[in-house]
Amino acid sequence: MFRYASARIAQTVVVLLAIAFIGFLLVSNLGDPLASLLPPDATPQDRAALIATLHLDQPVAMRFLTFLKGLLVGDFGISYRSHEPVAALIWERLPATVELAFASLAITLLVGVPLGVYCGIRPRSALAKAVMFVSIAGVTLPTFVVGILLIAVFSVKLGLLPSFGRGQTVDLGFWKTGLLTASGWRALVLPAITLSLFQVTFVIRMIRTQLMEVGHSEFIRFARARGVEARRIWFVHALKNTLLPVITVLALQFGNIIAFSVVTENVFAWPGLGSLFLQSIQTADMPVISVYLIIIGAIFMMLNLLVELSYPLIDQRVLRERA
Amino acid sequence: MRSTSSRFLSSMLAAPAASVAGLIVLLLALAAFAAPPFLADPFNPMNASLLDAFTPPAFLPNGLPAFPLGTDDQGRDMLVAMAFGLRTSILIGVSSVAIGLLVGVSLGLLAGFAGGKIDALIMRIADVQLAYPALLLAMIIDGSVRSAFGALIDVRVSVAIVIVSIGFAFWVQYARTIRSSVLVERGQDYVAAARVTGRSGLAIALLHILPNVMAPVLVIATINLGIAIITEATLSFLGIGLPLTHASLGTLIRNGNNFLQSGEWWISVWPCALLVIFVVAVNVLGDHLRDVFNPKLRRRR
Amino acid sequence: MTPLLDVRDLSIVLPREDRDLVALNNASFTLGRGEVLGLVGESGAGKSLTGAAIIDLLSPPLRRSAGRITLDGERIDGLTPAQMEKVRGRRIGFVFQDPLTSLNPVLTIGRHFTDTLLSHFDISFAEARRRAVHWIGRVGLSDPELRFDQYPHHLSGGMRQRIVIALALCCEPLMVIADEPTTALDVSVQAHVLKLLRDLHAETGVAVLLITHDLGVMAKMADRVAVLYAGRIVEIGPAARLLGAPHHPYTRGLLRATPSHKAAAGRLEPIPGSMPNLASIPSGCAFHPRCPRATEICRDRVPVLEGRHEGDAVACWHPVTEDRP
Repeated sequence: MFRYASARIAQTVVVLLAIAFIGFLLVSNLGDPLASLLPPDATPQDRAALIATLHLDQPVAMRFLTFLKGLLVGDFGISYRSHEPVAALIWERLPATVELAFASLAITLLVGVPLGVYCGIRPRSALAKAVMFVSIAGVTLPTFVVGILLIAVFSVKLGLLPSFGRGQTVDLGFWKTGLLTASGWRALVLPAITLSLFQVTFVIRMIRTQLMEVGHSEFIRFARARGVEARRIWFVHALKNTLLPVITVLALQFGNIIAFSVVTENVFAWPGLGSLFLQSIQTADMPVISVYLIIIGAIFMMLNLLVELSYPLIDQRVLRERA
Repeated sequence: MRSTSSRFLSSMLAAPAASVAGLIVLLLALAAFAAPPFLADPFNPMNASLLDAFTPPAFLPNGLPAFPLGTDDQGRDMLVAMAFGLRTSILIGVSSVAIGLLVGVSLGLLAGFAGGKIDALIMRIADVQLAYPALLLAMIIDGSVRSAFGALIDVRVSVAIVIVSIGFAFWVQYARTIRSSVLVERGQDYVAAARVTGRSGLAIALLHILPNVMAPVLVIATINLGIAIITEATLSFLGIGLPLTHASLGTLIRNGNNFLQSGEWWISVWPCALLVIFVVAVNVLGDHLRDVFNPKLRRRR
Repeated sequence: MTPLLDVRDLSIVLPREDRDLVALNNASFTLGRGEVLGLVGESGAGKSLTGAAIIDLLSPPLRRSAGRITLDGERIDGLTPAQMEKVRGRRIGFVFQDPLTSLNPVLTIGRHFTDTLLSHFDISFAEARRRAVHWIGRVGLSDPELRFDQYPHHLSGGMRQRIVIALALCCEPLMVIADEPTTALDVSVQAHVLKLLRDLHAETGVAVLLITHDLGVMAKMADRVAVLYAGRIVEIGPAARLLGAPHHPYTRGLLRATPSHKAAAGRLEPIPGSMPNLASIPSGCAFHPRCPRATEICRDRVPVLEGRHEGDAVACWHPVTEDRP
């Protein structure tokens, strides 16, 4: 177990370094920090001072090391657009995105898993067929179309829910949360549904397929022959077998979920990281873009690592095969 | 990613669905390409007729028979604007698929023929890229390039950036398919015979192998066309795609989204509907082609 | 005294678009308390389906089309799924054939037991665990406490089959259905598992419906034997009589084709031809195309099961009467 884990961790570190290097190349080669950060009436002294602060006078290798060190201690550079530290910008936007992501994950688990199990156990029932039919929409409709349609119906037509922003937020000092106010919860509904639609559909279909496969297995028949309660069979015996592939594939969908979160935040004017990323692209704010990409890449790699390291906990056979 | 949708679409609707889908694609494409030459370009400011702005669809109160689906904020007839938008969407979709094809087929042939380190390098990059979905990649490439050019971007550069970004997000599938086909075909007698007659590797590749492996590649290309159109629409919707003067469906939806709150829903909802109908039709068609030409491709990307 | 299990006119069909194919045709038999009844036949004869039908575990689209099943004086056909759940495992245990696929790879051995026990008894987890460890030890595995926390892949095939047997018996059912309990095992392991089954039968007095194609296993275990051919019981009787002096030509053919059986006398005689599939069962006696004694009547009319009494009967127009098989 230890050897397996350390090999995987080493691999992850190498890829993370590569991602950081690509991010570094973006910042160091694209855009013009001096033109962006210096006021028009800057003196040559100002200019020299800035070059020194940004280490532009040093060799590339040194600058990369400085950049890496900055990443590790949370010094991400200075935004060309707002002239604020990138870390502060990201920290300010992070709560919105995290709360949106967790809300959509909660919907995915609360709606996707039970429906998936139901459709897997009773694939021929009317409800299962209806769910599968509706799920076509989940994979076909582009995220922004879903958002627009939800706004058109629930905000504009019915006037039930807000269509932009986070509602009232409460500042806890280190974290601005929208989860402590009624308006915050109401504002969360439509974006969370929009973002979760793809994952919900995905989870339903994965669990259904897996369960239908597992349902035909001898060990499920044997469990039924022993009179194990149906609830136990499906939610413990069968679901545990489907967990591994579902978790793996969902983790691999992280990239899609990030892309969809950028779109969702844009549709609902949600003040999160995705909106920050788009603003930065439109204003060529390279430091923010590169840090955003590095963070996404890092989360992506960590998630994969976590999934792989948790395999042995879910399925003891993996360890054996890899030993 | 979203092409999975089409798999069960086609299985549910069977063959008649493919014919209906084909008809829809044909009619819409015809409308998109036949109409513009006869109509004034609504995106040219010279043709703006602000007096007609915000006319609701004809079936609503205050609607005008002259504008069956209503008009947008600049007084453009939605029907005409959508014809122009669809044409742009199709052109960009086809071009980016073509770029992906060109890059993917070339690298696939190179990997298959060269083997060794070149093969390993190309395939390793492909493996890494495969982990990232097309939409995210296109966003990243588009965003980075856009930032690099900064103020220099004019309309043409903007269009080119979108096409190339989407195209590069798609090359992996083609490269993998071509490479594995090359590895199979390379052992065939006709390639050996060509080698004996002293043909170069490139000549063999172009003359003998390529025609034999194009069928599966074209099937993938059709399926990717739907994804490419959605990707372009998403980029344009986010404001990092096409400018309003070269409106695609995505741009139209972005523009319409500004007026959704004030109740002028038709400016965004019609293009949304057209986008979904066209892409679903293309997907169903692609799935049908796949089943006909190459059932073996029926696996998850 | 009423038998423990009474199966009357049990039929199983496989629905097809044009017609229903009959997989089991009007089978009737009984199983006494503590008795071992063997069901023997070639694969496809319907013996495993019979076992599955008794506990209502046929895989769709197969279904029971007729028949009454009485267990301990109570009808158990036509129970609701929830009621059937209480019968399975608790009153009728079931030993599956393949130990490699019968255990869930992602659950511990212990979890298999506790889930089964907690489904049937209102006991604490600690008590379920105690009983599980007891059964793991009872079927001959060393270090039962350790095994409790192990996964199926930690055990060998023979050990897993012992676990499967223990799982079938852990709720102390009245009877077990053992479907080819030794077939999937290595020959060297078969004898051990068979001995375990015999010992457990002797100790607990559980009745056994033993399904096998192996006449050797039958001879060692069964009190009575029923022979199935193409979905019908063609002969039934006490094991000693049936295996010693078979009346049905098919039973005799089976015996002569079995190695190491006395009747083979060093020389194996396979039965010519093969068993028909469900879609093309011959008219009359289904065995007639392969039968050396077949005549006109065998082609035209289905023989009924008759004999001295219901427990010793044969379905044949021309039964074998000579003493030696």
